[in-house]
Amino acid sequence: MKVKKILLFFSCMMLLNCSAVKPWERGHLAKPQMALDPHPLQSKNRAHHYGSREAGAASNASSGGGGCGCY
Amino acid sequence: MHHLEAVAVGVINHKIAQIKVCVPSQSENITDRQASLSVTDSSATSALQALTSAALLLPGLLLMPSKAVSEDTVSMQYSFYKEGERELYNVPNTRTTISADTFHLSSQVSLKDRIKFAFDYTQDTWSGATPVTTSPLVAGGNNPVFENSDEGVTVVGASPIINSRMLMNHELTPLEQDPITGEILGTNTQLVHVLSSASPETRKQADFNLAYEWDAATINLGGGLSLENDYHSYYGSMGGLWNLNEGLTTLKAGLSYNWSETQAIIDHDAAPYITKTAYADQIEFRGGSEILQGNKQDWSTNIGLTQILNKTAFIDINLGYIHSSGFMENPYKTTAIVFIDPETISPNPEVPIVGDVRAFLEQRPDKRNQVSLSTKLVQYIDPLNAAVHLGYQYSHDDWGVDAHTFDAEWVQPLGRGWTLTPNFRYYSQNSANFYQPYLTSEQAFSKNAVDEQGREIWIDASDPESGVEYFRDEHFNLVDSNGEIVDESVLNIKNKTAPFNPELLPDNFSSDHRLSGYGTISAGFTLSKQLTRGLTIQGAFNYYNHAGSLKLGGGGENNYANFDSYSANAAVIVDINALGGYDSHAEHDAHAQHSGHTAPAGVMYSHMLPKANDIMVGYRYMYGRKAGGVLHGTESVSDQAVVNNGCSDETQCRFIQPYMEMNMHMVNIMYAPTDWLNLMIMPTFIDMEMNLRELDGRPPPVDGVHEHTGIGGHTTGGVGDTIISSLFKLVDQSGHHLHLGLGVSAPTGDVDLEFRRIARENGSIVHFAMQLGSGTWDFLPNLTYTGAYNDWSWGAQLKAEVRMQSENESGYRLGNELQTSVWGAYKITSWLSGSIRGIYSTQSAIKGDFNTFSGRVGPMDFPANHGGHFGDIGFGVNASIPSGSLVGNSFAFEWLQPIVDNVNGYQIQRQGALTASWSYAF
Repeated sequence: MKVKKILLFFSCMMLLNCSAVKPWERGHLAKPQMALDPHPLQSKNRAHHYGSREAGAASNASSGGGGCGCY
Repeated sequence: MHHLEAVAVGVINHKIAQIKVCVPSQSENITDRQASLSVTDSSATSALQALTSAALLLPGLLLMPSKAVSEDTVSMQYSFYKEGERELYNVPNTRTTISADTFHLSSQVSLKDRIKFAFDYTQDTWSGATPVTTSPLVAGGNNPVFENSDEGVTVVGASPIINSRMLMNHELTPLEQDPITGEILGTNTQLVHVLSSASPETRKQADFNLAYEWDAATINLGGGLSLENDYHSYYGSMGGLWNLNEGLTTLKAGLSYNWSETQAIIDHDAAPYITKTAYADQIEFRGGSEILQGNKQDWSTNIGLTQILNKTAFIDINLGYIHSSGFMENPYKTTAIVFIDPETISPNPEVPIVGDVRAFLEQRPDKRNQVSLSTKLVQYIDPLNAAVHLGYQYSHDDWGVDAHTFDAEWVQPLGRGWTLTPNFRYYSQNSANFYQPYLTSEQAFSKNAVDEQGREIWIDASDPESGVEYFRDEHFNLVDSNGEIVDESVLNIKNKTAPFNPELLPDNFSSDHRLSGYGTISAGFTLSKQLTRGLTIQGAFNYYNHAGSLKLGGGGENNYANFDSYSANAAVIVDINALGGYDSHAEHDAHAQHSGHTAPAGVMYSHMLPKANDIMVGYRYMYGRKAGGVLHGTESVSDQAVVNNGCSDETQCRFIQPYMEMNMHMVNIMYAPTDWLNLMIMPTFIDMEMNLRELDGRPPPVDGVHEHTGIGGHTTGGVGDTIISSLFKLVDQSGHHLHLGLGVSAPTGDVDLEFRRIARENGSIVHFAMQLGSGTWDFLPNLTYTGAYNDWSWGAQLKAEVRMQSENESGYRLGNELQTSVWGAYKITSWLSGSIRGIYSTQSAIKGDFNTFSGRVGPMDFPANHGGHFGDIGFGVNASIPSGSLVGNSFAFEWLQPIVDNVNGYQIQRQGALTASWSYAF
């Protein structure tokens, strides 16, 4: 589980590094363009198209609820 | 798996949105101290409101809408997807390519401070030609379809050939033959997709999610279902997230379970040519159709981390695992297997080998384990006030598919409420280890069986299961196993055949190009504009290109599998939360008391906005059903009467619909430029379903005329007509209101939908009532009076629909309509009222007729059997939310019960209609 170790390492590094950002310094982070998914309607739409056309798990919408739509 | 991610994403958005409420985009104007106060106390809503109200007094913030992703939104979206033409090499591809229309309704509301509820509804309708298998070009694949025209016989399209013969050299390379002389022209390794068309099909999906929030953690429960004719899927999920480290770190975890059921009706016309022996236990025969059944289960789990890196950047990392088991095949895809009987191979290498090409249902493994890692970096670009989103995903599974995805988005606010977001994505996968465009097997598909002595075995075809075997002696006499001569004239003798040995085939094979090696590039943009506080419109376009040559590191599938597609969509997003809190109460009370608001749900154009610059956004759902007996005028008639009189003098009726259902989704956006004029636009989205049954006493089928067979009903769906209308205030005194509506209906709904081409015969146009629009520009005048006194309100409306063209593109026009309604309503409590309505409507029969081939199977295919005089009584309930954050939202339901049916010609009875509506005024 090399991946997990790497992940753990990164997480620790971040925890150490990031504590400097105080709540009142998060104005930029709070902007709508900085949302994790700025256009949820669009990402859902695209995920459905990619999921019905591609076999990769990361984009395979048919494997996690939501039917086939296998046209 | 994907759904879980979406859930987590939703909550993250929400958390950031909470911060946002206290730090509007002009946050620089607020002191750091004020902002920090509320950030750390997310539950203190009232304090927060006090703070924002105070902030509103500051110049510059007064008109600043909050652009954050709101906690309470309702959005409606229409999307269109279309694929480009696929190359067929030997024949022109005239088939309509795959296209899909999607309607999506999405809502998120706070039920209480800490409880959030989200509901999503999605409906897709698609049709068009899709690859059913891959074939060497020399084996045929798509056969030309000829049609007589003014220029002589022309090729109008291609029809799928899935079983054929082909020649190969001794290296098994396909050989091309001159179609006329039979001369061998050389090797030809070109492959081709064999296409088959599908009639329109509809899928409906509903999802819900319930989240409970603590200050630093959220848990959520979700579930949903997706239903289509041949595929049902249900899922449940749970997830949680924890904010640590003063909100700098968020940990996420989720688990979901999905159960899917396939019930695929194997293409009636192709079924006899498909080898299905591997699925013998899973095929059921019902109503003349072969139904392939299978179940699938998926467990998926993921863990994730979102970490704020600094003032301008954060990352998101997720690890996922999916375990799937069960039926994972696409039930409509076959793999071509070329059978080569070793006994027929000549020792002379110059003599070609003859291959027997057979279509087999594909066989995928019944287990799949997938792992995925996804990472995303979101970085603020200070000088441009933009954000760049960079993502990378890797996935690996035990089918051998490794996939890499790189994506990038640049979110650029442009000022005045505009945001432009270009996006780019690259995806690459290698092929599954059982993927093959086609297979070869060195055995005969089927050959005459022989006994130990090498004698051919004969059986009685009238009783093949008897186990009695016969042989030929040296004089070609038929003998039994004891060598006694038997009387051949009393038997129905045929060769016993020995089928192929499935052990000699691979356990798994598929030629679905989605499991091949390829890459895709897609790019597009999203443009969104905030029109006013709380109302945003959004549009997007995306282009997608799939090509074997785009595979990372090369070695992808050949060009024949390439295709491209585009998708475009438009959405309206209403932010309820931002408005509810800001709007003065008095205004909404005025709305609620306005008599128009208590009009029954089914009355359109009933309400005018009271003031200039008011906006209303609404959604209306309508359902109608016809079923049961057949009427002629007001009388019930027998099947025999329909057969004899329901169609035409030349044609007797053969079929009738046992039921027909219509669902319509209508989006309503209304704006008041002045206090006496309202403008409104209403796009619609429709789906319909009908089944057919044979009429008793119908004439027998005629050879060569294809009829509806099997158990499948048919559906149509997509965009309906779009209404553009205006309302003029004529009288507005206390208690009495009169307005005039003048509008048009634009013919955006299709009226040329066809059933799929069957075998080599072009598909018939779909019944009149299953087309999606009128096909003509229609004039829509209406006059509405409403009155109110204390808890009582009442109204009356006269409404017409007049066709402004003599025929549509398919050669006919619908009859004109006139409807009169009278209603009364009583307010039971401050927020709830009940209504009763009487409706009389009349519609004339269809004028003209289809100008293209129609199957004319029953009364519904004849213009005279449409329209009539109808009376209904309506029972309605209206509710408006009087206070709280959802103030201004109104809901209404109305059921219409048919009372009088006096139909033109022969039609089935109406069973009733439901209207449900939601509207939000601000």
